[in-house]
Amino acid sequence: MKGLGYPRVRFGSRLAFGVGLAAVLAALLIMGSGLALAQQTVVIGMLGPLSGDYATYGVSVANGVELAINEANASGKYSYRFVLRKEDTRGDQVQALNAINKLIELDRVTAIVGAVLSGETLTAGPIAQDAGVPFITPSATAPAVSEIGDYEFRNVITDDMQAAQMAEYAVKNLGLRRFAILYANNDYGLALRRAFEAGVRAHGGQVVAVESYLDGDSNFSAQLTNIAAQNPEALYIGGYYTEAAKIAQQAALQGLKVRLMGADGFDSPELINLGGAAVEGALFTSGFYNGTQDPLAAEFVRKYEAAYGSKPDMFAANAYDSARIIIEAIQAVGPNRAAVRDWIANVKDFPGVTGLTTFAENGDAVKPLYILRVENGQFVQER
Amino acid sequence: MERGAHLFGQQLINGLVTGSTYALIALGYTMVYGVLQLINFAHGEIYMVGAFTGLLLVTQANLPFPLALLLAMAITALLGVTIEFIAYRPLRRSSRLSVLISAIGMSIFVQNVALWVWGPQTRRFLPPFPVHTFTVAGLRTNTLELLTLFVALVMMLGLHLLVTRTKLGKAMRAVAQDRETAALMGINVNRTIAFTFAIGSSLAAAAGVMVGMLFNAVVPNMGVMPGLKGFVAAVLGGIGSIPGAMVGGLVLGMAEVLGVALLSSQWRDAIAFAILILVLLYRPSGLLGRRTQEKV
Amino acid sequence: MLDWADGLLRSFINPYYYGVLVTIGINIILALSLNLVTGFTGQLHLGHAAFMAIGAYTAGLLATKAGTGFWAAVLAAGLMAAVAGVIVGLPTLRLRGDYLAIATLGFGEIVRITLLNLDITGGPFGLRGIPRQTNLPIVILAVIFTFLVLRSLVNSRMGRALIAIREDEVAAQTMGIDTTRLKVTSFTVAAFFAGIAGALFAYWFRYLNPSSFGFMVSIELLAMVVFGGLGNLLGSVVGASVMTYLPELLRTVAPAIAERRLVFYGALLVIIMILRPNGLLGTSSEQGWLEIWLARRRSRSPATTSAASGQVPPASTGGAGHGPA
Repeated sequence: MKGLGYPRVRFGSRLAFGVGLAAVLAALLIMGSGLALAQQTVVIGMLGPLSGDYATYGVSVANGVELAINEANASGKYSYRFVLRKEDTRGDQVQALNAINKLIELDRVTAIVGAVLSGETLTAGPIAQDAGVPFITPSATAPAVSEIGDYEFRNVITDDMQAAQMAEYAVKNLGLRRFAILYANNDYGLALRRAFEAGVRAHGGQVVAVESYLDGDSNFSAQLTNIAAQNPEALYIGGYYTEAAKIAQQAALQGLKVRLMGADGFDSPELINLGGAAVEGALFTSGFYNGTQDPLAAEFVRKYEAAYGSKPDMFAANAYDSARIIIEAIQAVGPNRAAVRDWIANVKDFPGVTGLTTFAENGDAVKPLYILRVENGQFVQER
Repeated sequence: MERGAHLFGQQLINGLVTGSTYALIALGYTMVYGVLQLINFAHGEIYMVGAFTGLLLVTQANLPFPLALLLAMAITALLGVTIEFIAYRPLRRSSRLSVLISAIGMSIFVQNVALWVWGPQTRRFLPPFPVHTFTVAGLRTNTLELLTLFVALVMMLGLHLLVTRTKLGKAMRAVAQDRETAALMGINVNRTIAFTFAIGSSLAAAAGVMVGMLFNAVVPNMGVMPGLKGFVAAVLGGIGSIPGAMVGGLVLGMAEVLGVALLSSQWRDAIAFAILILVLLYRPSGLLGRRTQEKV
Repeated sequence: MLDWADGLLRSFINPYYYGVLVTIGINIILALSLNLVTGFTGQLHLGHAAFMAIGAYTAGLLATKAGTGFWAAVLAAGLMAAVAGVIVGLPTLRLRGDYLAIATLGFGEIVRITLLNLDITGGPFGLRGIPRQTNLPIVILAVIFTFLVLRSLVNSRMGRALIAIREDEVAAQTMGIDTTRLKVTSFTVAAFFAGIAGALFAYWFRYLNPSSFGFMVSIELLAMVVFGGLGNLLGSVVGASVMTYLPELLRTVAPAIAERRLVFYGALLVIIMILRPNGLLGTSSEQGWLEIWLARRRSRSPATTSAASGQVPPASTGGAGHGPA
């Protein structure tokens, strides 16, 4: 029974037994009289890739949740003591299923922040739904996630929304007309590609080239040559920062002069670190801006940096807010899974570091979306 | 029409550059296979370690580029010899299956140790010399791309001369033909094989450094796909044949780029493997390889 | 009957361990079937996850698009994978061992990329909405069925012919064994069971994504077979059980080691090949350094020692392998 978090008691002698019994009775008496000496412990779960190729995202989420829980425990404002259980999925379906079963059945969590990737959320989510455990994913953006059920909440802006808003901004505000799309052939990239293409068309722009790549590719020359032949004004990259940085550099070497655009997959200091001058001027959508003036968010950035030595990204910020929503829910209604779900579903304008958060009927968060720009090696707010 | 021809020309240049990266990897593969009849699955990982070593020598030790390249080749050669000593030499008398499984184990081991030590994050590898872009007849290329092609050609020639003109090369060919007879003729078989691995690994290191700079990215899993494609290139050209590795690399690069240009970029990696299977089925000796009878 | 057994099992097994047992069972079927090809027939097959994928997607599509019942879909999944096994096996199994390895690897990648690019499979979004109909009694039944079928197969005349191919293919051929036909048969049977395992996977996980059937899955299956013992069915049961449960155990005890498990899998493959290529319970005639050392210690007389030294892998002299070189 190792590692289950239950204290093991050995009744070595009658004396110990007697003392223990007396202590338990005393504790019951005190609790009964309303003078709780020890707070009741409530377990909150976190599920995501803490190792493997996607570990960067999972670790950010774990940090965000941990920070929120440590803060709550230190504040003394809550009637419960919150305990965090982190489970690693390695970004893998099989591991995700075992991990969520463990959180629910062995750790007896009240609610979960996770999963992080869309694929693992679509595997683990239905398990939590069936078990009646509320969960908030801080980052799974695939459209199908919101169909899991009423115990699912999504505290991140979907791919569809991000791509649609970028398309609208590019056509209407920037006056761009000819677009090329280069997307990662995975659920994230494909969802962005579809929504961006539709958005551009809806606002009267033109998509002149669509190409794809596989995650981890390094050589984009053939795709970029195809794209360059169509003379686009802007290139929308549906993918993550590592590939985006490489694409930006190879595009520059090929003499392709376009405005680079993307979604929250760009949101990492590594974009600038890897891409250097080639990503200057790139625009992307994100639910969080870590250079914000908003006092609540600025305070979070400061605390996160002090605890983990780096600025928080969108994953950490969404996870932090999600954990805080769960903590408030438990404080309000007690550690009852169904009651916590109802509280989350009815939350109105929760003041998070990613803005005021309300969950729509389908569990998707409705909240503001930033458009950020790379300027002199920094992210600045474009809108 | 004019624009179409221009696009095609540019894609051919892309294919040539992509192909020369495969050729660089295929050279080391084909040499080890030629001598040992062993698919060195860890070759892609040796290539990755070579890229990391070169990167660290340039950025951390601030060595001038040619020195860093040579040193990376030397260090990686040592790694190759060590791998041979640990994972292959004890299995000289074992079945082919055991050696292959050991090779795969070594490949997984090296890749994951690298992931452990260096982390999953991609690192950039800026060329430590200025890169000039120029246009010839409307087609763009740059010094880095030309250098990659040049290095591949020089290595192919150097390797060819080594195998055909030197005593060591003679020993390698003798070991490749018949290990026991070679031993009877006074050739130190183990030393010859160790040298083969040293040379093959240093070629992989050079490939890793060049490709790392070309794409400005070094990461622990960078050897997996290029390693497989290097093998496909070697088989396509005729495994064991040194000019074959070059030809196989270039043909594979062209096929992939034309696949993207004419069909769709979604199928690029499938093209390489489809070519592999077709070649294995219809011309297992490859484009330039000789047909050999299996020995009993 | 099955539902009753399931209710009984669920009444005393914690759902977490229940889930772990189901994954162990699915992995046992996969390891058993891979063992037939690699352990008994001696053909290195690096694309087993692809047959699993074909089975999983066949069952998933039948369940979600055609409304096929569970048992029919599972059978169809096995047959579909078997057909793929014939199509892939017929041409590639004529190839020599190491080419086969790379061809099956290439086949695995082609299947994965195809699943990623087809519309009907949901592409990178995956396939959702498969009902959960796999349960522990069904998995246990499938494991027993697989084990019994494979055991009677390897103990049959055909099984002995397969082992002859593994030990020396050229000699087997000269003895009049139709090696290609037998290799294709063993490959097809293995594909069939991998397809069944894939179907059970689909009905358990309810959601399929091409990334669940990558190259590393094939490698982990190979590690299970090698660890348990090439050419020993019980070994595969042990290998799959240990290597599926160990990461789960480490999850609570030592997560840092669980995260690095591939480092150990890689080292394990090399070490087993050197010390005891038969794995824990393997059967082939091949001896590793460990056995040779033990054998030498057992035989005390100097005469036998010098005779046995001919068996020692030549660390310094070198020589041709006993396989075709």
